[in-house]
Amino acid sequence: MTPEIAEVKRFVSKQMPFSQLPEAASHFFATHLEVIYLTEQNQHQWLRSGNLYLYLVRSGSYDLLNAHGEVVTRLAQGDYFGYPSLLTGEAIKNQLQVNLAGLVYLLNEEHFEFLRREYKVFEQHFVKAHANRLLSSHYKQSRDSWSEKKISEVMTKGAVVLAPHASIYEAAQTMSQHCVSSIIISEHRKLLGVVTDRDLRNRVLAASVSPQQSIASIMTDSPKYIFEHNRVFSALHLMLKHNIHHLPVLNEHYEPLGMLTSTDLLRQQKSDPVQLISKIYKAQSLSAIKLCASEIPDLLKRFANNIEDISLIGKLLSGLSDALTSRLIALYQLEHGEAPCSFSWICFGSQAREEQTLHSDQDNGLLLPNDVNDEQRSYFSGLGRFVCEQLAHCGIRTCPGNIMASNEHCRGSLAQWLERFKLWVAQPTPKAMLNCKIYFDIRFIDGSNALYNEFTTQLSEMAKNELFFAAMATDITTNSVPLGLFHQFKLEKDKQQHKYLDLKRRGVVIINDLVRLYALKAKVYKANTLERLDALLSTTLLSKEDIYDLKDCWRYLTQLRLKTQLEYEQLPENCINPEHLTSLERHQLKEAFYLIKQAQQACAFKFARGSL
Amino acid sequence: MWGLRWWHKFYGLMKLRQSEFNAFEYVILDLELTGLDAQNDEIVSVAWLVIERGKVHLDSSEYYINKEVQALSQSPIYHGIDEQMVEQGERLSQILTRLGAVLEGKILVCHNAQLDWAFLKQASKCRGLTLSPLAVLDTMAIEKRRLSARTEPLNSDSLTLQACRIRYHLPEYGAHNALTDALATAELLLAQASAISVGKRLKLGQLLQ
Repeated sequence: MTPEIAEVKRFVSKQMPFSQLPEAASHFFATHLEVIYLTEQNQHQWLRSGNLYLYLVRSGSYDLLNAHGEVVTRLAQGDYFGYPSLLTGEAIKNQLQVNLAGLVYLLNEEHFEFLRREYKVFEQHFVKAHANRLLSSHYKQSRDSWSEKKISEVMTKGAVVLAPHASIYEAAQTMSQHCVSSIIISEHRKLLGVVTDRDLRNRVLAASVSPQQSIASIMTDSPKYIFEHNRVFSALHLMLKHNIHHLPVLNEHYEPLGMLTSTDLLRQQKSDPVQLISKIYKAQSLSAIKLCASEIPDLLKRFANNIEDISLIGKLLSGLSDALTSRLIALYQLEHGEAPCSFSWICFGSQAREEQTLHSDQDNGLLLPNDVNDEQRSYFSGLGRFVCEQLAHCGIRTCPGNIMASNEHCRGSLAQWLERFKLWVAQPTPKAMLNCKIYFDIRFIDGSNALYNEFTTQLSEMAKNELFFAAMATDITTNSVPLGLFHQFKLEKDKQQHKYLDLKRRGVVIINDLVRLYALKAKVYKANTLERLDALLSTTLLSKEDIYDLKDCWRYLTQLRLKTQLEYEQLPENCINPEHLTSLERHQLKEAFYLIKQAQQACAFKFARGSL
Repeated sequence: MWGLRWWHKFYGLMKLRQSEFNAFEYVILDLELTGLDAQNDEIVSVAWLVIERGKVHLDSSEYYINKEVQALSQSPIYHGIDEQMVEQGERLSQILTRLGAVLEGKILVCHNAQLDWAFLKQASKCRGLTLSPLAVLDTMAIEKRRLSARTEPLNSDSLTLQACRIRYHLPEYGAHNALTDALATAELLLAQASAISVGKRLKLGQLLQ
């Protein structure tokens, strides 16, 4: 037997995942590894050798760079690299920048596979690390991509062209026919000049030039131009440098294809959601609001590839819904007068959790003071109807369960609302449990903050009942993850016999339910699942590890879910066919489901005392 | 006769000096001794591991305790080795035979090789064995040459294994036994080789005297 070196073994056994594995795993690693002294000069000897290794940094400091030379992560003592290639079998694309040369432990592929087979936790560790690395690198890559686009993707197609001997009058007529602010003058399919609205004003009208003169006499000749295969960034640069708003776009034979205007570029930039939200808040009319709302699906598509944190998508959509709601409430007050008493517009469910999707429906309500009278109620009845109706016109579907401020039951006074909650908590029937899941995710949108705070304070006093928590925990376990024996996916089938996995109902929803339960127990009054988990870090209800695991799972499932929504498979919403996933993705998905299952069991044990 | 052997040795060494560092395999060895006198003191334990193509292979490490050691009769625990461990050890002749096989065609490396090599030669001579590594490298001598080239003040402490390792930012090892020190020496050799080569091909002659 190979003797182990105490210093190596001690170091290895302190590192994740070995710290969680039996001693035999550390012993195996410590007696099978190879030690190298990694320097800037010799790194290629190891990374490009064609042999795959797991690398563990023992000393020194290195930056891991991707193929574009961007820093992916900084590596120091205890950090691993090289595992993505071991997991996927693809060659290493990353390179290292050595800040301080040092010792690195290498484990070859055969030995890595052995540990992977022998120890589940070992495998989980690297599969998860890989998923996190992918998440962060994917979004880094596509950030700022709009300025990287080709001109041909963003330009207005179809050049509006006139011959140089045409009159100024003809030019003006052609421009107004085509609704364009500029025109290209060309001869023999070659660019001669450009005329813009501004030229017609400055060089014709202001200078009393006869409209019968030839257009060539007032055009800007030899204008700046750009090629269709250039990047948007170059066009932007040209326009800013020369203070021009119109750029003729040419193909490689110098033939004009169309005009790129500064408005075209602005349209690219409008994918900035902050701009859209501020536009909504400034909208002066219903039609202006609806126009903004119509931009949302497009915005989502463009934005989805540009962000690092996938949970922002839900936040973005909820932020837009909040803005639409607030603006509609303001418009109603402009028309029907100020509200006769204080009120709080609140939302529930996915909008409250800030994980709205394009398919989410409305869940909202009005909270009124206890002394509200009938006359005042009729004002709010009108407000509720108006806002819900208009939100539906803006593309946010009405709620099939009628949880909307247009419904009388959802326009209760403080006491009425509390009475409803009390009923659900006291008698945990399946119907009541369903209501709890929707209504306990609650968020303030507009109106009186004080009224809302009073409500949540009283609500938190209510959720103390042990039986209620036991019932919630039991209810959560009735929904199971789609994993069968031996870790196989349990697929569902639709009418066309398509097989699928429901990521939302059998994954995200379970996490949301679990986290809601813990949050209620810990009196965390936030609705967003990730924020609730963060707040739970300071309690003892869940271990840090469990919290990070749940956050990872939630992010992973949400990302997959969003991806399928954007790619639009022929399957029910939020569902995927696991055969369309790569083997690594399938693996990660199984891991995620497995972790959810463990969390479910732990929760049942904690709250329902295992009484399933 | 003497002249021919000397010439043989000299010519072989010339060729060796021109060869590339990475073309050889190295046996990095450390001894634990009862004292510094090769004639009278004893070897308590022997440990080594192999460097091949610039990598220290930990699965090549071997560690033996000399079961014939006499000095332990005076102090029952020596270098963390107790009587029971000694009983389970090997006879020195077996250990040296094994080492002889491993050293075949490889280069022996020690920190302060003079001392270890003297003990090894003495012990094998007594038992009618020969150890014939291609060459003997000394990380301490390498370091001494590097330091004197930099005209840094030298004292007796600046050439210990630990002091040398610190100069290359190598981690500090707490527990000392022959095997840990063999690994520590191996890592030091790699760091020295990389520092001396500065990215160019390293010839063995640059490490030999």
